[in-house]
Amino acid sequence: MGGMANGTDQAMFLDPAIRNWVLFPITVIMVLVGVFRHQLTILMAGEPPKPDAKDVRQGKALMRGQILAQNSAYIPAAALAARKQYLCQAYEDGEYLKNKASKDQGPANLMADPKAMEAMMGGMKSQMMGIVPQTLIMGWIQFFFSGFILIKLPFPLGLRFKQMLQSGITTPNMDVRWVSSLSWYFLNLFGLRGVFALILGSDNSADGTRDMAAMGTMGAAGQQPGQPQDFHKQFLSLKDSLAIIYHEWDLANVEQRVLVKYGKQSRLFKSSAE
Amino acid sequence: MSSPLELLAELRQSSERRPLETLKLAAPVLNTGAAARAGDDRWLVYEQVFVAAIDDGDMDLAKTVLALLHKQFDGSQRVRRLYGMYNDAAGHPEAAKRLYDEMLAADETNVLASKRLIAQLKAQGHVAEAVGRLVEYVDTHANDFEAWLELAALYLRQHLYPQAAFCLEEVILQQPANHYFHLCYAEINYTMGCLDVALKEYLRVVELSTDNVRGFYGVKLTADRIRELRSRPKKEQPAWIGAAPQPAMLERLAQLATERLVAAYGGAGAAPKRAAEAWLSE
Repeated sequence: MGGMANGTDQAMFLDPAIRNWVLFPITVIMVLVGVFRHQLTILMAGEPPKPDAKDVRQGKALMRGQILAQNSAYIPAAALAARKQYLCQAYEDGEYLKNKASKDQGPANLMADPKAMEAMMGGMKSQMMGIVPQTLIMGWIQFFFSGFILIKLPFPLGLRFKQMLQSGITTPNMDVRWVSSLSWYFLNLFGLRGVFALILGSDNSADGTRDMAAMGTMGAAGQQPGQPQDFHKQFLSLKDSLAIIYHEWDLANVEQRVLVKYGKQSRLFKSSAE
Repeated sequence: MSSPLELLAELRQSSERRPLETLKLAAPVLNTGAAARAGDDRWLVYEQVFVAAIDDGDMDLAKTVLALLHKQFDGSQRVRRLYGMYNDAAGHPEAAKRLYDEMLAADETNVLASKRLIAQLKAQGHVAEAVGRLVEYVDTHANDFEAWLELAALYLRQHLYPQAAFCLEEVILQQPANHYFHLCYAEINYTMGCLDVALKEYLRVVELSTDNVRGFYGVKLTADRIRELRSRPKKEQPAWIGAAPQPAMLERLAQLATERLVAAYGGAGAAPKRAAEAWLSE
């Protein structure tokens, strides 16, 4: 039979009850869980921790050094030299550090600083909130509906989609257009982002995909957002880059530039003093 | 023709302090209920009108809009600062100070409150104390170039030119392309007698801002003075003279400045033109 060969007109009929009691419930529950999570995140987020003056000072001091390194050409050599000397010394002595005494202890102990602790807890809370419901729903679907075929897509697809659309079902000959329940879950997980953006605004925390990414990296010892920066190290490296600045005043040949600009001279000459 | 709301927004953007204009523009907005239609922008307009009303001494209007703001944003630090400003304007600086101190106690990084306290000190004539507070402030908020500029102005009041020059250098580091800051820096250097730096900075001004009159006057003045210094005996010459431009270059620069200044006054009336020419040909 030609029909079996190309697999396009496999005669299979789905019970309407599957649509009513499996397809729609999964979708609806996924949306509801997303909305619930969004609200819960808002509820638990609380106030972001306020930096105190010393935090601000530390950060701004770093910024000042960076700006100096970047724009050093715009001030005279003497002005740069004074700043360089002062900032290098201050950075080395940890003058701007929040805890000046602890500069040699390396990265501060996380548990010692209540603010860092709070930030870490916040990150963990939101991660847990993402992972727990998704895991529950996935377990629920696998438990009740494994092996279900839910819908038939209205367009043909290549064989490579078989794994994506029919996970949990091992029927090698079935047309790829049939979608299994577990796959429908995953399609929803990734596809509902637009719906959430529509009903909760673009900055919502209902989206499950971010947590999937978080789950992947959780084991890795990467720079986590809650981890405090080691300012002393940053100051020291900034000090090094300040120390080797090559200063050439932007105004060294400004006389000639002005003469050229006002049409008194055709081009710039090498020597500034002519 | 832009609508009053747009003009008000422009004034806010440029943070120009033009209270009379603001009040004139805002009057129809406040009276006809156009403010309600402006959406969330109306709170910004109210704040703007409040400050303008205080500048103009219209305390009733200030009180009205302040009440509106207070009703909308109860407990907002920004509105509390406005209350402080109201107290300042109404002649109760102690009450205002108490409020600012409270705000700082709640959040020591509150920029608005610290600035108001410094402004109070400045207004009461305690310049030295204001300088102390402001130095503390820029030590914490090193990237606030407006504060550096204010500090420079306070130092200038005390005739502390090297300190003011230092502040201007910080400002220029952060805003290197603004010709006005270069102009201030040039003028401070001129006053201190660092004519070599002043000349270069004046030149930078006219490079950034074509035909800047103040810049060209500076170029002319400094170039002539350096030439005059060069003609003196060696002992009387300052140390930097070796690095300064040669007389020929100074001559050319002075000539250029004269030319552009005469051209700039070409469109003006006869009297200012004559005055300018008389000064230039001295």
